[in-house]
Amino acid sequence: MRLEGKIAFVTGGRGGIGRAVVARFLREGAVVYAADLSEAGSLDRHDADGSRFLRLDVSDEAECIAAMAQVRAESGHLDILVNAAGIEIEKTIEETSLDEWNRSFAVNVTGTFLTSKHALPLLRAAAAEGPSASIVNFGSYDGFIADPGLASYCATKGAVHALTRAMACDHGPEGIRVNAICPGYIDTPMLQSFFTGEGSGAGGKSIGDLQQAVRDVHPLRSYGTPEDIANLVTWLASDEARYASGQLWVLDGGLSAQVQQMKV
Amino acid sequence: MKRLLGKRAFVTGGRQGIGRAIVEAFLAEGAEVETCGRGAAPEDLPCPWHSLDVSDGTAVEAVAEAFGEIDILVNNAGIQVEKTVIESTDADWDLVVGTNARGVFNSCRAFLPRMRRGGSIVNLGSISGQLADPSMALYCASKAFVHALTRSIAVDHGPDIRCNAICPGWIETGMLEAGFALAKDPARAMEDARARHATGRFGRPEDIAAMAVFLASDEAAFATGQLFTIDGGLTAASPLNPGLF
Repeated sequence: MRLEGKIAFVTGGRGGIGRAVVARFLREGAVVYAADLSEAGSLDRHDADGSRFLRLDVSDEAECIAAMAQVRAESGHLDILVNAAGIEIEKTIEETSLDEWNRSFAVNVTGTFLTSKHALPLLRAAAAEGPSASIVNFGSYDGFIADPGLASYCATKGAVHALTRAMACDHGPEGIRVNAICPGYIDTPMLQSFFTGEGSGAGGKSIGDLQQAVRDVHPLRSYGTPEDIANLVTWLASDEARYASGQLWVLDGGLSAQVQQMKV
Repeated sequence: MKRLLGKRAFVTGGRQGIGRAIVEAFLAEGAEVETCGRGAAPEDLPCPWHSLDVSDGTAVEAVAEAFGEIDILVNNAGIQVEKTVIESTDADWDLVVGTNARGVFNSCRAFLPRMRRGGSIVNLGSISGQLADPSMALYCASKAFVHALTRSIAVDHGPDIRCNAICPGWIETGMLEAGFALAKDPARAMEDARARHATGRFGRPEDIAAMAVFLASDEAAFATGQLFTIDGGLTAASPLNPGLF
């Protein structure tokens, strides 16, 4: 088991990708705190999996402080922080209200800031004992190249990329590694919402056709699963990745390696 | 005020397409221009021509010596072979890498010692040097060579010489048509590709020449070692066709 005895905290831990990370961490022997807005997160229901659930709005500083105080009281330190909580507003800037813009930044950027800030003393305590502590943020391939109608989302993910490098730079000397995973199209509630949402304008196309078109544009001809992402999170969280820090890890089935697809 | 007045420029591959547009733009901005290519001079060329294969280092050196002092070198000559790695022959390698990679090296090595202070080298890279187009393996790799060489020259030969690369996207040239000829339905493929451009059109050789003028001019005195992408927004967008959403 690759994370045996490690203490891990996963935000968005009951959502699409976060839940897969939690499940994998548990299998790898970690003690896992799954933080989310509700027990079921963005999915319909949740079955007990051995994780410790914490109700947490990552954009609320008092809640972040309380959550980390609980980790300190129960576990004394924290080896791994995964900032997987995120929201996506499917709009252009013209359609995006100031509230939606602020909410995007509050969850995706401020949330990453707040949980990391208040987890740092606990991560430092872990790094003092072991090879290193690890923060894994969630960027996106959309932080590099834009999908249409996702303006605030793209901007927040670009901010997470820069924040990742800054945190790696500031806290590397303390033994804390910071990386971001930049997923492409992953089969999650967020992706399904993108397919079916008002902004997607499937334009007479069935959702199935649209999904197939999206698969076909990938060199690997499929989109990813949350487990694909969890594999890389596990590696970045483990001691095997002790020299990996400050990097943006794109995991997108080759989608952004290509310029253009001529399917016709 | 003409922006390249008094400057001596040499442009490789000036017969047609992007190279020809750069020749004409440089002339219009007051530069003294000579160009080269394989074979005889095109009939309507408005400047001196050297019959030259840039993959031949000795021949390039002779042309550089004849040209003398230089302010602007544009390495535009390039060849595209539309094949995957397993389809590519040794002859394809020699042709593509010989022209696109060795050719740029040959002319930089020959012209650099003759370059006056404040000189500017403009290489033609490609968006394909950063992201892959299908069935263009050697071409993509040769352009990545150009990108890295651009940075090395900027680092080694500053502060006297600047060196930058332009990375064109899909520009309306013979090369573009050859690319689309690979498609099962070239007309539909072209429409599909056009829809992926934020500008709603493909590039024109003049679009690239405009950037070449800027990089060659003293306006760009602080620009060096960089790749300048001119692609109508193509690579700013996800490879999904926005038309789907």
